[in-house]
Amino acid sequence: MKHVSTAPHRRASSPSHPSRAPRRSHVPLTATALACAAALSLVTACGSSGGSGSGGSGVIHVLAYGDAGNTVEKSIVDTFNKTSKVKAVLDTIPGADYQSKLQTVINTPQAPDVFFNWGGGSIAPFVKAGLLMPLDDMIAKDPALKADFLPSVFNTAVIDGRSYGVPMRGTQPVLLFDNKKVLADAGLTPPTTWDQLLDEVRTLKAKRITAIALGGGDQWPELMWFEYLFDRVAGPGVLQKAVGGDKSAWSSPESTKALGLLKQLIDAGAFGTTYDSVKFTDGGSPALLAKGKAAFELMGSWEYATQQSANPDFAKNQLGYSAFPSVADGQGDPNDLVGNTNNFYSVRSTTKYPDAVAQFLKLMYSDEFVKAQLAIGNLPTTTNTPKFLASSASPAYSQYQYDLVERAPSFQLSWDQAYPPAAMTPMHQAVQRFFDGQLDAGGFVAAMQALPTP
Amino acid sequence: MIRHMTRRQVRANYLAGLGSLVWLGVVGLPLVVLLTTTLRTQSDYATNGPLTLPKRLTLGNYTDALSQGFAQDLANTCLVTVSVVAVVLLLVPPLSYTIVRSRRRSVRTVFRVFLLGLAVPAQAVIVPMFYLISKAGLYDDLTGVVLPTAAFSLPICTLILTGTMREITPELYEAMAVDGASPWRVFWQLVLPLSRGGLATVVVFASLQAWNGFLFPLVLTQSDSTKVITLGLYSFQTEHGVNAPGLLSAVVLSMLPVLGVYLFARRALVQGLMGMGGK
Amino acid sequence: MTRSPAAGGAGLTRPGLAWALPATAFFAVFALVPLALVAVLSFTAWNGVDSPRAAGLANWTALLHDPVMLKSLWLSALLTTLGVLVQTPISLLLGVWAAGHQRHRAILSAIYFVPLLLSATAVSVLWRALLDPNFGLPAQAPWLFGDGNLLGSRDGAIGVLAFVGAWQWTPLHTLIYQGAARAIPQVLYQAAAIDGAGRLRQFWHVTLPQLRTTMVTSTVLMVVGGLTTFDTVLILTQGGPGTETTISAYYMYEQGFKSFDFGQASAIALVLVLVATLVSLAMVRLSGYDAMRAGTEGI
Repeated sequence: MKHVSTAPHRRASSPSHPSRAPRRSHVPLTATALACAAALSLVTACGSSGGSGSGGSGVIHVLAYGDAGNTVEKSIVDTFNKTSKVKAVLDTIPGADYQSKLQTVINTPQAPDVFFNWGGGSIAPFVKAGLLMPLDDMIAKDPALKADFLPSVFNTAVIDGRSYGVPMRGTQPVLLFDNKKVLADAGLTPPTTWDQLLDEVRTLKAKRITAIALGGGDQWPELMWFEYLFDRVAGPGVLQKAVGGDKSAWSSPESTKALGLLKQLIDAGAFGTTYDSVKFTDGGSPALLAKGKAAFELMGSWEYATQQSANPDFAKNQLGYSAFPSVADGQGDPNDLVGNTNNFYSVRSTTKYPDAVAQFLKLMYSDEFVKAQLAIGNLPTTTNTPKFLASSASPAYSQYQYDLVERAPSFQLSWDQAYPPAAMTPMHQAVQRFFDGQLDAGGFVAAMQALPTP
Repeated sequence: MIRHMTRRQVRANYLAGLGSLVWLGVVGLPLVVLLTTTLRTQSDYATNGPLTLPKRLTLGNYTDALSQGFAQDLANTCLVTVSVVAVVLLLVPPLSYTIVRSRRRSVRTVFRVFLLGLAVPAQAVIVPMFYLISKAGLYDDLTGVVLPTAAFSLPICTLILTGTMREITPELYEAMAVDGASPWRVFWQLVLPLSRGGLATVVVFASLQAWNGFLFPLVLTQSDSTKVITLGLYSFQTEHGVNAPGLLSAVVLSMLPVLGVYLFARRALVQGLMGMGGK
Repeated sequence: MTRSPAAGGAGLTRPGLAWALPATAFFAVFALVPLALVAVLSFTAWNGVDSPRAAGLANWTALLHDPVMLKSLWLSALLTTLGVLVQTPISLLLGVWAAGHQRHRAILSAIYFVPLLLSATAVSVLWRALLDPNFGLPAQAPWLFGDGNLLGSRDGAIGVLAFVGAWQWTPLHTLIYQGAARAIPQVLYQAAAIDGAGRLRQFWHVTLPQLRTTMVTSTVLMVVGGLTTFDTVLILTQGGPGTETTISAYYMYEQGFKSFDFGQASAIALVLVLVATLVSLAMVRLSGYDAMRAGTEGI
């Protein structure tokens, strides 16, 4: 990933100079006046670079998650600005802080007009507080805003029967990535069953290679293992019930079995011993895979873009990928996927330029958008995507993902996005403590049952 | 006699010398690694580790860091620092002068309030501060960082400066009074010139607070255009921490201005840091 | 308190209250008002999206029964104590040593000083990079670091936080002790030497007693600094693994800006303020600063 370049995020503003009554008498008053003057001059100096919202300036602010994917968001904004009188400005916030920054500004005058989110629970509190604009009127005027997207994806941002988001990136199923060279040297192939995975872990361990790279310091990469195992063992129903408020879903026998399997993998030393000191976000765990210090990594499909930007040779020649292995006697379909169905643009109800926003959202199903997303390895979820698959950065990878998504009976949204934001920290902590051995299965179930539901 | 004693002390303390060498390793080794890492390529670092010597010296990490936005971060930090110092210099001297010279009960109460302010950690007020700043329309605006940062350096700066001003003897005030000087003239011609040492300390202290400030910028800004250097380090670390040479170059860059102050104004800096001692 | 009748003479014009007004008003707006708001918010439920709603004592009762809060207080105390125990002896010895006149002392002191030039953010970022288990120091020095899972284990993470704190702050305390040790009258050492006291006894019977007030100041600084440690935890451990390094100051941030429970966060903040105030008051008492101030006020 490259450092998100510093595009000018200047917000137009007209710094006002309240007239300052001239005073001659006392020093302290002079000092106060001077302090005010200093403060004012600061406002004029920095006012152009921040604050003051979009009031009356003919600008809509688009807030996006800052990462390697921003190149497309930037070019789309440029395209929009070529024809629109109301100009769009793209603001980005580095990933780790995105959700907390968003939540802190969403109900202030500095709130963006359009913002990136994960749909589902991540916007539910905003909908409840009446902060978001239902897009149904826009869709009535331009049915393609809904019809041109895959329904299973579009529905992630439908809440109480109303549409609140338009898909704006690629779909991101979680896949089991591998280092082809490490596997070949050990005489292994990507595992198709859980038992095969356990066997390969033992083989790799005997060769003193960490079987699976894991960015436990970020916590959410550990969550992916829970998501897949629960789906394979019990099917997607557990989470749907749990998010719906039925806490007993967590204490089923299937739940115990899934946790038992994961525990077995951890105890087999599959992740080595230092995973909680390693992160994915800072490039740590991808480097382990790329440098051949680990054989596998379970990660969202963005792993490809990450490797392509940090280790291009590796991404091109040695990065392998496969679906999560099946589990014997599991109730879940082995074709089920977990991950982020897509990311969405939602609209703040206070925007002054709903028409301009509608025009902006239309770009999300344009040919240009689809091509640009494919070029950086993302897989858009528009109905016209298959037309362009051959033009992607890695046609084989795009086609593979597309087939997976098309075939999948269920595509489960990441647990931490399905729950409301307030659940994220305790959920991540429970996940990490289970990996550390500080929580047993019972403790983990209790922690999940204590989470707030929408 | 004293000289003799001193020399006698010098001779024997090998144990202390050894201890000081151990600490030299604890402090010095990471600093050496810091420097060598910034001078090597990322792949060299990833392959050979931090404890080897660089295969080939390069300044590329520094130029990369500067071109990737750290130059703007440094400029923003400078702006914040200068503004904080300006606000502090406008507010603290008149206040300290009043505290030292006035005999009103109310002024004494004011001083007590400021003393109590020493105990209020900035974290404690961050939630309402966010609320106030965003209501004032100063969210994501450097002014919104300057104001609370300045406010939270007032107590310690006041403490430092009143300490200096108390050392001005009553006789000097009386001499000025005989001339019929107004408080303004006393302040300008007597108090300020004799408090230069304290003022330098206050400047250094306020600058350090502003330069190193993290929590206020973290919560009160979000854009690249308002990012200060500490936030720049933090977000580079969260996104690209595995690129240690790039990251540590930014660390060195963030330190250079302070190093400059250390080389040219060592006394004031040392005094300023001791000022953190609340004395 | 007036020293002499003359000093209070009518000829003297003194600055009026208006001189103190700008600073006081500024401080009130940006420190006291927020502080009052914290107190108010601690009795509300607020997620940052809706408006705050009155919640009575709910936050406070929740806090009393919150195992993470209790643990965070204990962790804050543990880290603070560790900081004092590690930093005090080192900085005391180094400070006294640096106050002497040994060869190379100036150069060494200058090097010791460098960590102080780095912000807490920079120091944390530096150590996070150096302690990476796969690409940092632990990979090359397994004899010292074991498998290198420092930040991923409870004891490792606490150890790292204590060490990094000491690495950054020992120079400051060394400086404080150095200044104080220089101020000890040589006569005391001469007298002790005449009585036949060796170096150790001189240190024990002259140096240490003379540095008593300095030790109070330095310790209080460490305590207040330790209680409010934030940058280091955010960057090095994020309170993890699990909640093993979630100290109170970080827990407040997490409850507020990650879990969006600003009411709860405000309650924690108020606890922090109370503890810090109590410590500071104790400082004023112990160091006798209050008496000194009373003696010089209103000259």
